[in-house]
Amino acid sequence: MTLPNYFLADLPPEADLTPAMVTDACLTLKRNRAQYLAVRDTPSILRTLVRTAEDWLSDDYPFRQFALKEGPAHTGFSAPTLAIGLDNFFKQLTGENLEALLAQELGTTQRLDAFCASNSDSRTRRLALGTGPELVGHITAGCVPNAAFMAIVLGLLTRSAQFIKCSRGGAFLPRVFLHSLYGSEPKLGACIEIAEWRGGSPALEEVLFAQCDGVTATGSDEAVEAVRRALPPRVRFAGYGHQVSFGYVTREAVSGWRAKKIVAAAAADVVAWDQLGCLSPHVFYVEDNGVGFALQFAEQLAAELARREAAEPRGRISTEDAAQIAARRAIYEVRAAHSPETTRHWCSPDSTAWTVIYEAEARFALSCLNRFIYVKPVFDVGEALRGADPVRDHTSTVGLAAQEHELEALAKQFARWGATRLCPLGQMQNPPLTWRHDGRALLGDLVRWTDWEQ
Amino acid sequence: MTRPSSFAEYSRRLLAFIERGAVAAEMEFAALARELFALQFTHVAPYRRLCEARRVTPDSPTDWRLIPAVPTTAFKELELTSLAPVERTTVFHSSGTTEHRPSRHFHSAESLAVYEASLLPWFARHLMPERRCPTCELPASASAQVGHLRSTASHTFLCLAPPPEQAPHSSLAHMFATASHSLGAADSAFLATAGADNSWSLDRAAALAALRSSGQSSQPIVLLGTAFMFVHLLDELERRGLSLALPPGSRVMETGGYKARSRELPKAELHSLLTARLGVPSGFIVCEYGMSELSSQAYDRVAGSASILSPQSSVFSFPPWCRALVISPETGREVAEGETGLLRLFDLANVRSVMAIQTEDLAVRRGDGFELLGRAAQTEARGCSLLAA
Repeated sequence: MTLPNYFLADLPPEADLTPAMVTDACLTLKRNRAQYLAVRDTPSILRTLVRTAEDWLSDDYPFRQFALKEGPAHTGFSAPTLAIGLDNFFKQLTGENLEALLAQELGTTQRLDAFCASNSDSRTRRLALGTGPELVGHITAGCVPNAAFMAIVLGLLTRSAQFIKCSRGGAFLPRVFLHSLYGSEPKLGACIEIAEWRGGSPALEEVLFAQCDGVTATGSDEAVEAVRRALPPRVRFAGYGHQVSFGYVTREAVSGWRAKKIVAAAAADVVAWDQLGCLSPHVFYVEDNGVGFALQFAEQLAAELARREAAEPRGRISTEDAAQIAARRAIYEVRAAHSPETTRHWCSPDSTAWTVIYEAEARFALSCLNRFIYVKPVFDVGEALRGADPVRDHTSTVGLAAQEHELEALAKQFARWGATRLCPLGQMQNPPLTWRHDGRALLGDLVRWTDWEQ
Repeated sequence: MTRPSSFAEYSRRLLAFIERGAVAAEMEFAALARELFALQFTHVAPYRRLCEARRVTPDSPTDWRLIPAVPTTAFKELELTSLAPVERTTVFHSSGTTEHRPSRHFHSAESLAVYEASLLPWFARHLMPERRCPTCELPASASAQVGHLRSTASHTFLCLAPPPEQAPHSSLAHMFATASHSLGAADSAFLATAGADNSWSLDRAAALAALRSSGQSSQPIVLLGTAFMFVHLLDELERRGLSLALPPGSRVMETGGYKARSRELPKAELHSLLTARLGVPSGFIVCEYGMSELSSQAYDRVAGSASILSPQSSVFSFPPWCRALVISPETGREVAEGETGLLRLFDLANVRSVMAIQTEDLAVRRGDGFELLGRAAQTEARGCSLLAA
């Protein structure tokens, strides 16, 4: 299978994009939207999305096969890692979940099609209709495709034409997803464009932003801020900057009968998308009052990561990324030799495939990722939160492993502290479709409301 | 294996090895490396713990390439020295004004003497090739060479660094001082000052005066400095609209690193500006690679030699008593010719600290030398969740 030349991202890498090409593409998208997309209703969009997701979950779907075959070379993820990551996303894309998303965001599921009232609206004798932007620009970063996939889904729900700008080398999976949409509904596919260029190319971005009435951006805080500053004031904007995540395991959980399952769940969080997503853990805090639970957890996690490596190998990484892992391992090796009671390390032999660092120091540590995880013993949740204070404003997900009776108090502490998502360990990189990205509304930033007082 | 009785005895053998220079054989390097490993294993406690954790001892019949290397960052955390506190006369710190905790490399008078003996002949070979002893490829010995060199007219050394009295913990200032005292003319000068916060600033007036006065002489000079100091000098020349023509045969030694102390220039651009503003052709601009954790330095060319490579791909060589291996970060093994990895160094002149050093510098293996790519930690990560630490 080869992908036809439908999108700018299909052009050979040596082809240079010009501002005129971006403007032309945007004008075409708007024309196509008016003709094909603006006239569609929510149920028909849902049917298309659900059918496409079902296709992607089928082993013999040609686009899936293509993504798994060519993906490792383009994305750096191994085929099993890709398969699990894609499955986790498309399993979420059901009619039920999409309706739940619309109800959550808009009050009812029909409010993009007709004036209607939510419960609170009817009490105030109002109807309301939401209208999506004509053209949304999505500035996406990195190689984990979920943010781009989700942006496409949300843009289709609001019936917006979309221009997806990926960072260099990041377009592959969203591009295959769009080809699959194009394959089943060419008219819909003609309302979406995808292109790849290095971030901070003002000539291209300026003409893109001039055409958009909504823009979303994910990436580093600096990159997101740069996009915000470059936007004309009339453009609606949703920016998602740096986020980090970590796990928290209680003493009761790790000493109980579920201990083995908890270790496997922790390993799944490290393995998913090779730990490169914003929701991937950097650290697991493990409650330990000097009896060695955390050390035992670290040792078991290493064994589990070794097992997972056999089935879901870490992708190939650049020499630079490998050098970062090697350099970090070297310093922990010295510390472990010097003070084994506070530092231990477990490394994959003859490779940088996985690394576990046990460090008796509660201060949060940023992992160099690619399956490099810290395990840190803490006396209680208070010590973990003090240790994680430097990333307090940047924390997305806390994965929890605790006994039933401990959960509520823990959840409240993390929420008050500032985490925006709590989930069971093992689900960190697998949020539900309705997940409020960074604690914010999904559609609310883009939809314009028209209130009609009766 | 015969064990040396002491560091002093080892140092005597090493100095003899340095004296023989390029004719020194692989066997001899290997023997000295094993001797030094045994000494350091015994006398540098934190190093011994690392070796024991790796189950490598002096009794393991190992190739010198398998001697455990210490990461440069360990010099920040541990006292990697066999010198008792009372024996330590000098300590070199890694540079950088922003570093909270610098690397520390302790020296005694004796170990500094070895450092200087290692430094001088390789420096002279690359910066002052015309002064090589005609009968052998390398200077007969550092001390003998100094006597020999004193008999001929000396170059003026202009050092864009503070004098060592102001920067007692800078191995670079010490290196410049050693070279200019031993090989330079009496009017050699240091043209920068060190601030209380360890920052260096160029003494612009003195630098311009010294360069102008050199320009009026026919005697070539040796101009030494870090990349960021050269940027400050070039900015000053530009501000004044000045271009100088240093005497023909003048040479520049530039050592890398900006550490956020000036705007950064690509090497090719820096060198072409040096040529434009100072009249020093690219063949006379020599790059040095060194660090406070080492006692030997690498250079990428002999001053005045024809260049076959572009400045971006210059190949560095250490002296025969310091070997560089390029190690795959993935497998920990040496990479093949032309491949990239992390630079690991075995410096026999690192007598009282640790000989085997694992750097965080990425390099391409090129013959016996290496092409430097830069610091691994500065590269951008692929994930989206990395904060600026």
